Amino acid sequence: MTPLVITLLKLGGSILAILFLAWLARLLGLGGDVRIRSEEQARAIADEIISGFDPVGIAIDRAGMGALMRDARGRHLLIRRHGAHFAGRLLDNHSETRLDQNFLTVGTGERTFGRVTLNLGKEAQYWASGLRHLNI
Amino acid sequence: MSETLFNPVDYAVPAFILLIILEMLWVRNYAPEKYEPRDTLTSLALGTGSTVAGALFGGTMLAIAMWGYDYRITTIPWTWWAWIACFVLDDFFYYVFHRSAHRVRWFWAAHVNHHSSQHYNLSTALRQTWTGFFAFTFLFRLPLVFIGFDPAMILFVGAINLIYQFWIHTEAINKFPRWFEYIMNTPSHHRVHHATNPRYLDRNYAGVFIIWDRMFGTFTEEIEDEKIRYGIVKQLGTFNLLWSVFHEWAGIARDIWSAPWKHKFSYAWRPPGWSHDGSRDTSDMIRQRWLDRQHEQPAE
Repeated sequence: MTPLVITLLKLGGSILAILFLAWLARLLGLGGDVRIRSEEQARAIADEIISGFDPVGIAIDRAGMGALMRDARGRHLLIRRHGAHFAGRLLDNHSETRLDQNFLTVGTGERTFGRVTLNLGKEAQYWASGLRHLNI
Repeated sequence: MSETLFNPVDYAVPAFILLIILEMLWVRNYAPEKYEPRDTLTSLALGTGSTVAGALFGGTMLAIAMWGYDYRITTIPWTWWAWIACFVLDDFFYYVFHRSAHRVRWFWAAHVNHHSSQHYNLSTALRQTWTGFFAFTFLFRLPLVFIGFDPAMILFVGAINLIYQFWIHTEAINKFPRWFEYIMNTPSHHRVHHATNPRYLDRNYAGVFIIWDRMFGTFTEEIEDEKIRYGIVKQLGTFNLLWSVFHEWAGIARDIWSAPWKHKFSYAWRPPGWSHDGSRDTSDMIRQRWLDRQHEQPAE
């Protein structure tokens, strides 16, 4: 066999192996179902995302899929579930905000991070107003 | 080259797969969130892509190594002590490369792939770069060629170094006896390296021997009662494979394009997180602020 054929066979074997392992991970139910269940947990996640971020206001999505937080400096932090963990972004006055009754949709301007829709209940309007008046 | 050697990584791959399966079975009941199927798929695709990149650019890198070998200061023979010396020196130059890969954004752009998972498991080990060639990371091994080690020997010990580093990407092993932890890089030491906790940022660069970090002041011990958070300071928030590969390169291009002329190239060679207007944070700044907060807290 030529070196090219050997390389292609190795590549094909690798692709089959990674598909098998990803399938196995799904079959075994790995990943779990992580949610934000308390303000304390939300605070811990915020500190993980922005070291030292100390929220004075917290709004957690009713399903626990994400949260919005504000610190004493007026910075707003959006967090959302990412696989079995959470990821977040500080928001600025370029962030997109759309309010639909109890649902607040926030876009960070980052295509790969995407928009996040949070069910914040009656708090949604309050947070939407806060985001529209960001001066950062 | 005086010898042709096999690639030990080819023979290690089945063991890698088997160990990943065993680790998945281990976490299944204990902590299923330790693995995430999409993250695993991204990590393994990065690994496969890196072997393709190696096949595409390996010839050029070998040609550069052979050119360097023509200018060697001596010829190291193929003896037992040469293998040991080559392995130890290669690991030292790996330390130099790895430290640079975290402190210079141009190198970091290639290396960040390996750190961008928020998980720490054996699949993370295979999360290798596609763009190392463009970051010129192979140049870090050239001193060994100039010293007089045969490029085939260097490639072989480099592969052994890579294989060693596979098994340390796990939370399944806590700590080894003290003497082993003192000399060797271990899962505990490498968990610190992958952590984003401020106290752990940019620490433990070792490949095989942790002694380099102890010698050059970059060693930090894992603390039992502090939960480790893995990944990068600004988590990607996506499993998109191509974005995982190229996001930092895109960031460098964007910053160089928009920065004032006198700061443009600082965005390539200064540490990740550096900005000319101080609007972003380097790992040193994050750690310093964290330390300041620790000192502000009243003693109990």
